[in-house]
Amino acid sequence: MPNLFSCLMKEEWRMHSTMFGSVSFALFPVMIFGIVFMGSFLLPLLSAAFPAGDLAFLAHATFLLLGFMVGGFGLLGNEMMNRRFGQASLLVYSARSLPLSERSIFAHFVVKDIFYYFFLWVLPFGAGYIAASPFSGVPLSRALLLLLTLSLSFLLGLCVVFLLSSLYVRSKTACLLAVVFLGVAAGIYTFWSGTNPALLFPPYLLYSAFSWMAFLATALAIAVLFAASVVLFSPEGRSSARTYRRVLGRLAKMLSFLPDSPIVAKDLLDLARSGIGIGQTLFSFLIPLVVIWFFLSLLRGSLPPHGLIIIFSLTTGIIASTIYTWVTEFDSFGPYSCLPVSVSTLIAGKMTTFLVLQALPAVFIGTVATLSSGPELVAPVIVLCLSISVYAAGVMAYLCGLSPSVLVYDVRVLITYLVLDSVALVLLAAVSFANSLYAFLSLFLLVPAYILVRAARARWDARDPAGI
Amino acid sequence: MAAVIETCGLSKVYGDVTALDSVSLSVEKGALFGLLGPNGSGKTTMIKVLTGQVRPTGGFAKVLGLDPAKDGVGVRERVGIIPEQESPPSFLSAMEYLEFVGAVRKIPDIAEKAEKWFDILEFGDKKNVLCKDLSRGTRQKLMFAQAFIHEPVLALIDEPLINLDPLMQDVVKEFLSDYVRKGNTLFLSTHILEVAEEICSAVAILHRGRLLHAGPVADVRAHGEHLPGFFLSLVRKGGHA
Repeated sequence: MPNLFSCLMKEEWRMHSTMFGSVSFALFPVMIFGIVFMGSFLLPLLSAAFPAGDLAFLAHATFLLLGFMVGGFGLLGNEMMNRRFGQASLLVYSARSLPLSERSIFAHFVVKDIFYYFFLWVLPFGAGYIAASPFSGVPLSRALLLLLTLSLSFLLGLCVVFLLSSLYVRSKTACLLAVVFLGVAAGIYTFWSGTNPALLFPPYLLYSAFSWMAFLATALAIAVLFAASVVLFSPEGRSSARTYRRVLGRLAKMLSFLPDSPIVAKDLLDLARSGIGIGQTLFSFLIPLVVIWFFLSLLRGSLPPHGLIIIFSLTTGIIASTIYTWVTEFDSFGPYSCLPVSVSTLIAGKMTTFLVLQALPAVFIGTVATLSSGPELVAPVIVLCLSISVYAAGVMAYLCGLSPSVLVYDVRVLITYLVLDSVALVLLAAVSFANSLYAFLSLFLLVPAYILVRAARARWDARDPAGI
Repeated sequence: MAAVIETCGLSKVYGDVTALDSVSLSVEKGALFGLLGPNGSGKTTMIKVLTGQVRPTGGFAKVLGLDPAKDGVGVRERVGIIPEQESPPSFLSAMEYLEFVGAVRKIPDIAEKAEKWFDILEFGDKKNVLCKDLSRGTRQKLMFAQAFIHEPVLALIDEPLINLDPLMQDVVKEFLSDYVRKGNTLFLSTHILEVAEEICSAVAILHRGRLLHAGPVADVRAHGEHLPGFFLSLVRKGGHA
């Protein structure tokens, strides 16, 4: 149904472009192109520190992660749909009023996401690299091959998450079992063969040694994942009304030592009852980080002895900062507009919830550090991870207020976010590589983080709130 | 009588759309004031500006002596509001939502007061149901309860009867009339003209953001007209202006 597909594409474009103007949004892929084009000139320098194969690995891992993010963002059942699209009558809900099946709409939705985000992210990245190839000395055929294999990485990530989310909506237990099975299989493989399973990642294998058979096998795997996700898709929302005993009051009382405890209690109940807390933890936190760990561990030879856990801690910190988007995606200012609550109070409440949820990355990175590097690195690594997470969330709150997952596509916002975060990341990586105890210096980041959140509250209070 | 709401040259422009165009009006204490207008006339924007949810681009407003553009939270502390489209948060039960409202508004004995509202609006059997699973009508009742649970002296309500069945509409109309009889003030936005004629003491008519008329309903009747006919002729004339 080409009509539905083109309408979905238009709808996605208009949703983004109305937020910050067509021109500004259209500049987003141009910016990606520009960054990669210019970044390609740094390749000779980077190659001195990292073998070319490692860099290719990282690029493939990044696009796999991008696929995870794009897929995981929207499709954890109807509630995620509601959060992403609001209660408006969007095309994804057409089955309610038009003779279209929900499965067909879902299939179109997946295809739309593939094309839309391919043109938004993947193609500009590949095109930037290809355009720079005459100057960087990379053969054009290799640059074209990289575009192909990065696209496959992205598609694999996207389709795996769509499949898992379809499974999740149908049976949370089955989804969890599937994830555990994959994790255990990777662990057993590593144990028996002594080889990192990331080395078996099909798009990277294809990039290393292209063959038409391998290409067809990879494409077939993606097609199977896509078909399985559509077949397994089961629309939610038909169940009877859910009832709960009163918990909010008691929870708010328990948390009364925190500022804005009713808002924090409400956010925690939202996360728990919607199932999104578990879904986000799985799709946006644990799975990406486990995959990243496998990929990063390939760099072990190029890093100082404790370098891997430091890099992983910084990465976990950045991913942990996106917990701010979990708590802001639930509601806009709208439901609070009838109450004596300001946007700044809401930002403060969401930041408090965010800080409470930092227990998750703290436990995670602490466990990884204990298992992989020994107990002496646990404390510096946890401090490093949480400091960067709080700082990055502060940047996000300042730049995006209560809409971080939408405003990230504003070119100015994204560039500012990347610059502010990159400076902190590079400095902390450098000093922590020198001595792991210097990771404690990251505590100084809490000062700009505090200032940013204060500035965010004043900045977003001065504007008409979005979402009403 | 003292004015509880006063606007002077109030304007709100969204991009190239003028939602309110220099609106000046006054609502006296104890009035049941109806803001009437066709779809898109600026009624909802008016309520948003008066409750500090959006800032005017011109003119000013005073609500209970406060400027909502500068102290929106202060205004919302003192008034009750039923927004037109907003729903209560999805994953709280109806009872928990009223508890949440109570916690934010610092209302003592909130559980007791909530029970009273479940009785008045006859939805006690739904108090433990998640808000997302409530019917539209029940959500409307819940929004109604949250607007009045702190016993405000002024309430601004947008289409309060929409989604309610005729029996419940009767209960609500009776409550609103009683609320005003006790000396409180009600600012009601609606396009159900019969309801406005039945319960309002004064009305203002907005069309395309401009104020076409403001005055007591009795004045309309004094000219031998019914409010619906008066409204239609005025808006049609205004539409051609």
